[in-house]
Amino acid sequence: MKGLHRLCFIALFLLALLVAGVLFALIFRISFKELGDAISSPEVLFALRLSLWTSLAAIIIALILGLPSGYLLARRNFRGKVILDTLIDIPLVMTPLVAGVGLLLLFGQTYLGKYLARVGINFIFSPWGAVIAQAFIAAPIVARSSKAAFEEVSPRYEWAAQTLGLRPFRTFFRVTLPMARQGILSGIVLAWARAIGEFGATLMVAGATRMKTETLPIAVFLNISSGELGIALSCALLLIAMGLIILLILKQIGNNHRRELPMKGIE
Amino acid sequence: MLLFFVPAGLMIRSNIKIFILFFSFLSLLGLSRPGGEARCEDIHLLAGAGLRQPVDQLIDLFREQTGCRVIVDYAGAGNLLARIIASGHGDLFMPGSFYYIKRLEQEGLVDSFSIIAYHTPVIGVNRGKAHLISSFQDLARPGVRLALGDPEAMAFGRVAMEILEKSKIKDEIVKNVVVYGATSKQMALYVAQGDADASIIGRADAIQYQDRIKIIPVPEEYFEAEIIAIALLKKAADRPEVIRFRDFMGSENAIEVFRHFGFLHLDGAER
Repeated sequence: MKGLHRLCFIALFLLALLVAGVLFALIFRISFKELGDAISSPEVLFALRLSLWTSLAAIIIALILGLPSGYLLARRNFRGKVILDTLIDIPLVMTPLVAGVGLLLLFGQTYLGKYLARVGINFIFSPWGAVIAQAFIAAPIVARSSKAAFEEVSPRYEWAAQTLGLRPFRTFFRVTLPMARQGILSGIVLAWARAIGEFGATLMVAGATRMKTETLPIAVFLNISSGELGIALSCALLLIAMGLIILLILKQIGNNHRRELPMKGIE
Repeated sequence: MLLFFVPAGLMIRSNIKIFILFFSFLSLLGLSRPGGEARCEDIHLLAGAGLRQPVDQLIDLFREQTGCRVIVDYAGAGNLLARIIASGHGDLFMPGSFYYIKRLEQEGLVDSFSIIAYHTPVIGVNRGKAHLISSFQDLARPGVRLALGDPEAMAFGRVAMEILEKSKIKDEIVKNVVVYGATSKQMALYVAQGDADASIIGRADAIQYQDRIKIIPVPEEYFEAEIIAIALLKKAADRPEVIRFRDFMGSENAIEVFRHFGFLHLDGAER
């Protein structure tokens, strides 16, 4: 066993070295002053704000669509379930750029796109394009993780609650949802991480209009392309910082979960 | 395939053996490169995304003729420039606008360059909107939806901005811009799909979507056609195969390929 562990340790060390190397390379390329100037510039502040609200809106949409889907897939068997289940996973394996072209074609000059535009919902070339691009990728993650979380909750609890007189909706909100909370929360956090870093689909659907559809990843791309490495790297560091926060939240959720596990049988 | 089977069979015996086997396979794979033709180190070209069609065809032709492989990175010119400056990577640089070669020259990285063709900006109009937009002035009409390139990030974005400046109706036209894109092809797609009514793009980009995009010339006094050139970077200046490729790209045959895809000849006959 010792030899195996040593080899594994070498692999772990190399992996950690690579990640740390990338982080240091990014951080040491800019000075504190450059970073400060960039972060207080209107462009970066705009990108940060836009990234935050679009990803939040995307997560809400993902939750509204993903959570019920996950619940149904966990609880019911119906004809075509496998097909549906696989279908909603496709965005996860799709190249974002392809997803972007698909969304552009779907919501562009089609009847659907024209109808939505008439009632005031315009995805093309607007910040809402970034929202839909992010939701497209976030919703399947939420659906997937909540499906797994609901599957872990035995339907017996629901039966018991209903026998005791709780109506189905209240059973869901007061029994099932609280018990599946951990899995769903970590799914949301993961989905949020993907949403905030989304680039390819946003570029196609929303465009790369500075100070309008410029999310943090778009800002990184535009500023690398125009040789403004300082601004690009500052945005990149902001993204990494947010990723770090997301990871910490995830770890925290994991810890809580483990602490609560022994209670599970009694719940 | 073999690579995956052999170590699996040995797994139980020793981990070190697996590693040795694995790496010796890797090195074997590395040594036995396909194609027994004259050994020639790979040439690394960084080319503007809009030049892909002719360049793809030409590197195949070059490989047939010389056996040398050219590896191309396609991206927006500004992106490529940043990459060359940051990493010193690449043998040749071929942006859609001469401006970027000049910038690289200021960095002291260019050895020499050959001029290939014109990259002419045109107004590409969605055929469904051709009745509304028939001249440059029509771009300022209220209600027209325009797509332009980001002026900092890509060649035709910068060119379009210069054109607007000279036209004296920049403000009116900019009001109509609904989206800024990152590559010329992206904007051509927007116009072809009808998501935007018109854009200032490369002639070659518009020709690619000929059935959906109508070409309207930009008044000649508003621009000087962009020159497509290929620059030899200093660090590759002593490699004969790289120099050969540069000369090949400047040859009459290569220029003919460019012309086939809608780029204009330097003698200006078609302008």
